[in-house]
Amino acid sequence: MEDKFDCIIVGGGIAGLSAAMVLARANMRFLLIERGEFCGSKNVSGGVLWGTDLARLVPEYWEDEDAGFERFINHRRLTFMDEQSSFSVDFKSAHYEEQPYSGVTVLRAKFDNWFSEKVQEAIDASDVADESFLVPNVLVEEILKEDGKVVGIRAGEETFYADCVILAEGINNLLTRQIGLQPAYIPADYVAVGAKEVIRFDRKVLEDRFQLSERSGMSNEFVGYASGGVEGGGFLYTNLDSVSIGIILGMKDLRGKKRTPYDVLNEFKAHPAVTDMLRGGEVLEYAAHAVSMGDLRGLPSEIYADGVMLVGEAANLLLNSGKAIQGMDYAMRSGILAAGTTIEAKAEGDFSAAMLKTYRTLLEESFVLQDMRTFQGAVQVLHSPQMFGTVPNLICDFGRQFFTVDSEPTKKASQMMKDSVKRHSSLWEMIKLGTKAARSL
Amino acid sequence: MSADVKQLSISERLGFVSYRNQGRSDAKAHIEVDTSICNSVCPHKCTTYMCPAKCYTLDEQGQVHFQVEDCIECGTCMYACDQGAVTWRYPDPETGLGVTWNLG
Repeated sequence: MEDKFDCIIVGGGIAGLSAAMVLARANMRFLLIERGEFCGSKNVSGGVLWGTDLARLVPEYWEDEDAGFERFINHRRLTFMDEQSSFSVDFKSAHYEEQPYSGVTVLRAKFDNWFSEKVQEAIDASDVADESFLVPNVLVEEILKEDGKVVGIRAGEETFYADCVILAEGINNLLTRQIGLQPAYIPADYVAVGAKEVIRFDRKVLEDRFQLSERSGMSNEFVGYASGGVEGGGFLYTNLDSVSIGIILGMKDLRGKKRTPYDVLNEFKAHPAVTDMLRGGEVLEYAAHAVSMGDLRGLPSEIYADGVMLVGEAANLLLNSGKAIQGMDYAMRSGILAAGTTIEAKAEGDFSAAMLKTYRTLLEESFVLQDMRTFQGAVQVLHSPQMFGTVPNLICDFGRQFFTVDSEPTKKASQMMKDSVKRHSSLWEMIKLGTKAARSL
Repeated sequence: MSADVKQLSISERLGFVSYRNQGRSDAKAHIEVDTSICNSVCPHKCTTYMCPAKCYTLDEQGQVHFQVEDCIECGTCMYACDQGAVTWRYPDPETGLGVTWNLG
């Protein structure tokens, strides 16, 4: 077939664009289809892009004057909250100022758009510049199969064929379900909803308030009061001249507790510690999106089949181990590995499931599935009810005792801790949870 | 609550969202909801409080209503509804509704 591509990529988010970048550099002929007006126009993230893969795909991207990222992270904070107090673990290091950065904040409509321009440049520089395309504004409605093998896609009246298809369609993976790699109905158990606002500040105000230098930034995750009693947590990230503030709430728990995402967000914003950070800001955008909870039980039955591979959140790849919320770096690496497998398959002239299994093997060997497996215990501890109620309340109660100086005789810290434990839980409960947490991290 | 940090209502929040084909009266709905299921057998009517864009509302009689115009394509209702009332598709870029995020 004359106009058959080597690969069709469905979705121009980070996973799809990362795959496209690798294919372009290898002179492969591909078609990337994005349903939004431009790449990034349908994407929502917290969001920090962790890890160093971006520097592999776009070397020295930080030198690019219009680089799509906001700030690099050199300051991290984890905050436990009760209604009135916040108790933070805070880490800042000049180590993180070395390039390549290990985390950058992004706004997806900006970042993905920039990234797609970089991919287009790579296409233009390839040997097959006129035979690979990034096409926005088109919706893929159907995956075409012949004899059980994926052979192409249909968009409206048009059909396109390729040796293989990479599905990078995100968490709401309707095509993945269409070809039977996930059931048609996915229950709320392992899915959360994120809701956020981007709040603008004068750049100088932002830098002074958060102690930022020209391009450095802070990431802050919140546990406890932030999620309004629902399984989940909050986040605040600094962009160039705005902050992204939001919450992530487990859908099943949200349904049971009859809470509303934007009400929980309002309460979080009204917490005294958060209010102090947001004072004087101006809301630019409100957004929300479903997000995978990174529970291995929520993964598709398989991430490859004859002629097809799943990447990024279409494969439910995500991890919140309590140390960081990682999704975009998983999208990036899975896209890179699926593209690498495509190149290998092309050389072999074999796009069967047996060949594409290579992708699964590579992903298993990479940090993506290694970490998802290593920290699966942590994911489950984090989602236990104590972690968003009892524990943050207890920590804040202890903090209040420890840091209060009120001209009364003061107890020793160990006694304060015992009192806090007694008020909010029991020693036995905390030993059990502490042991589990220590093992899982 | 400090007056310096503005608390927004959901309609104010949605005012910041850029929608596609907003003016088109013939725009095709990408989500269909069989509200007869919501209003007969559903024990929780959870979309009325879980939808982050308040596309699902309850009237005074406790009946569920759905409008697609404010939908931001988050996907929440597709998972939240465990009664089979929600049929979810992606909006067609030409003839459908949906969002274009400015920041995302």
